[in-house]
Amino acid sequence: MTATATTASATRLAIPAKPRRLAVRAAGWAATVVILLAFWDIDLEWDKIAGLPADLAHYGALMFSDPNWSMLGEAALQTWRSVSMAWIGAILGVVLSTLLGIPAAQGVGPAWVRLPLRVIFAVIRAMPEVLIAILILTVTGLTPFTGALALAIGGIGTHAKWTYETIEAVPPGTAEAVRASGGSLVEVIRWGLWPVAAPELMSLALYRFEINVRTSAILGLIGVGGIGAMLTDYTQHREWDTVGVLIIVVIVVTMVIDAISGAIRRRIMEGAKVRGVERQH
Amino acid sequence: MTAADAAAPARTDLAIPPRPRTWPKAVVVGAALVAFTVATTIPAIGGVEIDLASIARNWTNGLDRIGQMLTPDLSILPRTWQPLLETLEMALVGAAISAVLAVPLSLWAARPTNPNGVTRRAVRFVLNVVRAVPDLVYATVLVAMVGVGTLPGIITLILFDVGIVVKLVSEAIDSADAQYMEAGRAAGGNQTQINRVTALPQSWPAIASQVLYSLELNVRISAILGLVGAGGIGRLIDEMRGFYRYDALGTIVLEILIVVIAIEIASNLLRKRLR
Repeated sequence: MTATATTASATRLAIPAKPRRLAVRAAGWAATVVILLAFWDIDLEWDKIAGLPADLAHYGALMFSDPNWSMLGEAALQTWRSVSMAWIGAILGVVLSTLLGIPAAQGVGPAWVRLPLRVIFAVIRAMPEVLIAILILTVTGLTPFTGALALAIGGIGTHAKWTYETIEAVPPGTAEAVRASGGSLVEVIRWGLWPVAAPELMSLALYRFEINVRTSAILGLIGVGGIGAMLTDYTQHREWDTVGVLIIVVIVVTMVIDAISGAIRRRIMEGAKVRGVERQH
Repeated sequence: MTAADAAAPARTDLAIPPRPRTWPKAVVVGAALVAFTVATTIPAIGGVEIDLASIARNWTNGLDRIGQMLTPDLSILPRTWQPLLETLEMALVGAAISAVLAVPLSLWAARPTNPNGVTRRAVRFVLNVVRAVPDLVYATVLVAMVGVGTLPGIITLILFDVGIVVKLVSEAIDSADAQYMEAGRAAGGNQTQINRVTALPQSWPAIASQVLYSLELNVRISAILGLVGAGGIGRLIDEMRGFYRYDALGTIVLEILIVVIAIEIASNLLRKRLR
């Protein structure tokens, strides 16, 4: 502000008018109105909201003041079941998505293969895993295997999309070189695309496992077993001290798995630290 | 190749260096992966029993169900409007409230906007814990606490949204160009002023983009929240599933598909404009 005063004698520095951006404002107002309408229409139970803090404190105390640690063994077994579901689901899902995702990438498969595959991925992406599990349980029953299959098939939606996006982001040079020296489509994929895309794809596969660990707890709610099923049971019986233990177990296991998997992913993407070697590019 | 070789005046033998020995490590990593995988398939210790026989036996059941779902019973449609509207409203209300909460929390969780390491780590840790609990687990517990209805559903969505929006936005602030903030500091602003005048305007696109993304996820999640009694169209899914009305289920799934894809397209368009 003082700067304008000192230079005022020379040139008048007029601050340009703010852009009006009418469309943005109109959209903002429209969004506000829609949100307010939603608030007004949704029938929030205000008396319940008033009692919410007291409720949360009450149940929080029931759950965490004196957790029933004797359930820890059972909880560990069910956790392993959930993690197993997540792992098997991740392996099956990643294999399927890689097989389906590579031909869906631009420059690999022809358009009549790519487009139908992408539509299938989009449809699966919109289907919640729980619904997929409801379909699969008519085949394999209420077993952890159903959970693993649901995770595998539900994972195709996003994972195959990531796969073809990764393949498309590979610089075309190596693939072109393989093609120029007479490589077939399979050889182009094996030597031109795979070595470049593999670290990213492996990192995504581990990330898929992390997501599955969370989702497998959700699938437990429809009865395929694991920590989610145990949590539903004890919540419905309102044994809050056990519920507290289960929530702590879920949090700790998820965070530990995220940390380990994150460390491995960093190692895959950034490579080992080079020690004592002069390295040129 | 050959031309270049011939042109080289003095021939020196180019010895190809030996291939690096990577196989011992590959064997160890591979063996570890195989061992872990085998351990996850032992039912005795809680693993998954891979039961291919049941697939061979019952695969026609699955095809029947899919067949029924592919012939949707449209007479159910009038009953779905109200729950579907409720689902969308829950998604919107959840995203709106979490957007309001996420703005200060993101500034709190990012390094340039909160130099105080203690509070920053505290906020990040709490949000990591919040993110570690899956959405339907929140819903199940909250329904048992406050009763069936939209309220537990909305709280679930808020917890879920705040977790991811704050994570993604604070990472965006962390990696953003901090020059404006330096200018603010050089001009003698305190941290609050710097955040308000430089960091916040710079982060609006990131915040808006992530909130839209969370709205997309919310529609997907709130569609199934009803399965545990937390309101929305999931209630109807649970009911139809109980009656084995897979043709009606097909209609509902189709409806969710259309809504989810429509919102995804709209949100993608908006987010492209934001960049």
